[in-house]
Amino acid sequence: MLDIRDLTKSFGKGDSAVTALHEVNFSIAEGEFFTLLGPSGCGKTTLLRLIAGFEPPSGGALVLDGQDIAQMPPNKRPVNTVFQNYALFPHMTVAENVSFALGAQGRPKSEIAETVGRMLNLVQLGHLAHRKSGELSGGQQQRVALARALAPKPRILLLDEPLSALDMKLRKEMQVELKRLQQETGLTFIFVTHDQEEALTMSDRIAVMNGGRIQQIASPRDLYDQPANRFVAGFIGETNFLSARCEGGQLFLPQADAPLPLPHRDGPVTLMIRPEHVVMGATQQESLALTAKVERLTYFGTDTHVHLRLADGATLVARVQNALRGGASCRDGETIPVSLPADALRLLPQEVA
Amino acid sequence: MVDRAFDIRRLPGAATLAITCFVILYVPMIILVANSFNTGRVIGEWEGLSLRWYAAALQNEAFLNAAATSLILATMAAAVATVTATMAALATTRSRGFKGEGAIHLILNQPIMVPEIVLAIALLIILAQVKQITGYTGLGYLIIAHSAFCIPFAYMPIRARLEGMDLTLETAAADLYASRFYAFRKVTLPILAPGILAGFMLAFVISLDDVVISDFLKSPGQDTLPTYLLGELKRNLTSEIYAISSLLLLISVLIVAGSWLVTRKKI
Ligand SMILES: Nc1ncnc2c1ncn2[C@@H]1O[C@H](COP(=O)(O)OP(=O)(O)O)[C@@H](O)[C@H]1O
Ligand SMILES: [Mg+2]
Repeated sequence: MLDIRDLTKSFGKGDSAVTALHEVNFSIAEGEFFTLLGPSGCGKTTLLRLIAGFEPPSGGALVLDGQDIAQMPPNKRPVNTVFQNYALFPHMTVAENVSFALGAQGRPKSEIAETVGRMLNLVQLGHLAHRKSGELSGGQQQRVALARALAPKPRILLLDEPLSALDMKLRKEMQVELKRLQQETGLTFIFVTHDQEEALTMSDRIAVMNGGRIQQIASPRDLYDQPANRFVAGFIGETNFLSARCEGGQLFLPQADAPLPLPHRDGPVTLMIRPEHVVMGATQQESLALTAKVERLTYFGTDTHVHLRLADGATLVARVQNALRGGASCRDGETIPVSLPADALRLLPQEVA
Repeated sequence: MVDRAFDIRRLPGAATLAITCFVILYVPMIILVANSFNTGRVIGEWEGLSLRWYAAALQNEAFLNAAATSLILATMAAAVATVTATMAALATTRSRGFKGEGAIHLILNQPIMVPEIVLAIALLIILAQVKQITGYTGLGYLIIAHSAFCIPFAYMPIRARLEGMDLTLETAAADLYASRFYAFRKVTLPILAPGILAGFMLAFVISLDDVVISDFLKSPGQDTLPTYLLGELKRNLTSEIYAISSLLLLISVLIVAGSWLVTRKKI
C-alpha cells in the first residue's frame, strides 16, 4: 500500500551538501509491522520525516494507495507520527491532546468525545484524561502520544524511536503493548529503532539501514540467518568473521585442516558463523575442522562465551549453552579441536574496509 | 583550601556600593509617598496625616484629563507595539537564517539605543509639517510615536518565550491535520500568551512613563500624566504632586509585578 521508489534526500547545497538518503526503495503491505533499523545518523528519522511530509524529498516517489503523496503537505496526509520526544501540547490536558486531530478535522463533538474515550481506554489512561500532559510520567506521556496519533485513524502510524527514552523494564512492557496494539487495530506501523533486539522481537519485516542506504530488507529470522553483507551480519546479533577463499567448488580457510566442498563463485570471501553454531570438539557433520587455543571463558548465566585464538592469531567466539552437558568443559590455555559445521557457514562478499 | 570561583560579593566596597545605590533609589520614593499623605500644603512641612491631596487630585479636571490621555495612549501604543512585536518575533524565529535577519534585529531594537531626545527632535520636525498640512492635532501622533519606541520592550519577552518553545509542537500540529492558522491559534498562540501579556504590560509602563517624546510631540492643550506633572512642578509645588506621583508609581508597580508573575510561569 506504500511504495517508496528511488527516494533521495540531500541537505544543503554545493560542497556542503549532505545526502541523508540514497535512492531508497521498498514497499509496505497493509497491516505490516515494518521496522527501520540502523545506527544513529543513518537516515531513519529523515526517511520518516519524508513519509510524514515534514521535508520534501530531493528525488523519487512516495506512493500511498496508488497516489503520489511526495508533494502533499503533512496536514493532508493520512499518516500520523509518534515523535521521539513525544511533542505533547503542554498547555492541554491529556484528553485535549488526544482530540486535537479530530478537532482540526472539524469532526462533530459527539464523535470526538466517543473516540477520545475509546483511545484513552485503549492505552489505559482513562483515569488521567483531565491531567495536564506535563504532569505525567515518561511512560504515560508515551501512551498519550500514541493515543493522539491513533485517534484520527491514520493509514500508517510512524514511530520514531518511541521507546528510547524509557527505562529497561518499562521499555519491555511497552514493546509488548505496542505489538498488541498493532495487532488489535490491524494498523500499518513503520517503527524506527537503533536497538536490534527490539527490532527482532517486534517486527514482521526489518529494513537495515547504514549511511543513508538500505542494506537489506527481510524478516527477523532471515535477517539473522541470511544476512546480505558484513554490515547486516555485524549489526544484528553476534558474529564471527574469517577471511577465506573459494576455488573450484571448494572453500579454503587458511586455519582449517582441509578444504570443504562448497559451490561458490571463485575469489576471496568473508566467512561468517554465529557463536552458537561453533562446535567445541570434533563432529561427524560435514564441517571445517580447526585447532584453537582457549583464551578466556565468560559466564553469562544461560550460556558461556568461549574466546578462542586460532593458529594465525585470528579470534573466534563460541557460545555454549550451560544447560547442555553442563556447559563448556574446556579450561583456559587448553588447546582443543573446533568444528565449523557446513550448514551454519555463510559466505559474504569480501568488502574493502 | 580549594580555589573558589571569583565571588563579586567579596570585593572590598561592593556591599557598600550596592547599599548606597539602593538607598539613593528607594529612600526618596519612600519620602515622596509619605509626603503625599501630608495635610500641609507646602512640601517639607509635616502637619499631619490625611488623604486630602488624593481627594484634591481626584477633583482636579486637568489631572483627570491627563490621566485619561495617558491611559488611552498607553493602551493603544502597547496594543500596536505588542501586535507588531509578536509578528516580528514570529518572523525572526520561525524563518531561520534568512537574509537581513541581523538588520531586522537592529531596526527593531533601535529605539533602545538611539538617544530619545534625538528621536523626539526628528519626529517633531516631520510631525510639525504633517500637523500643518492635515490640521489634525489629536492623540494619533503620540500613539504612533509611542508604539514605535515601545516595540523593542514588547518584543523581548515575546521573543524569549518563542525561543523557549519546542518547534516540534508545530510539526506535531501539522501532522495532526491542523492548517497553519489552526496550529497557530491552538498551539503557538496559547503557548506564547504569557510572553505577549508580559510584552504588553512592559510596553504599557514604558509608554505611561514617557516624558521627552510626549512633551515634544503633544499638541497645545494636550497633556499626558508625566507632561502634566512636569508643568505643575514649574508652576506650583504642592503636596498634590506627591499624591499624583504616588498614584503613577502604584500603577507602574502593579503592572510590572503582574508581568513578572505571568512570565514566571514555565512553558
Ligand atoms: N535538517 C538537516 N540539515 C542537515 N543535515 C541533516 C538534517 N537532518 C538530518 N541531517 C543529516 O542526515 C543524516 C541522517 O540523520 P537522521 O535521519 O536524523 O539519522 P537517524 O535518525 O538515523 O539517527 C545525518 O548525517 C544528519 O546529520
Ligand atoms: Mg533519529
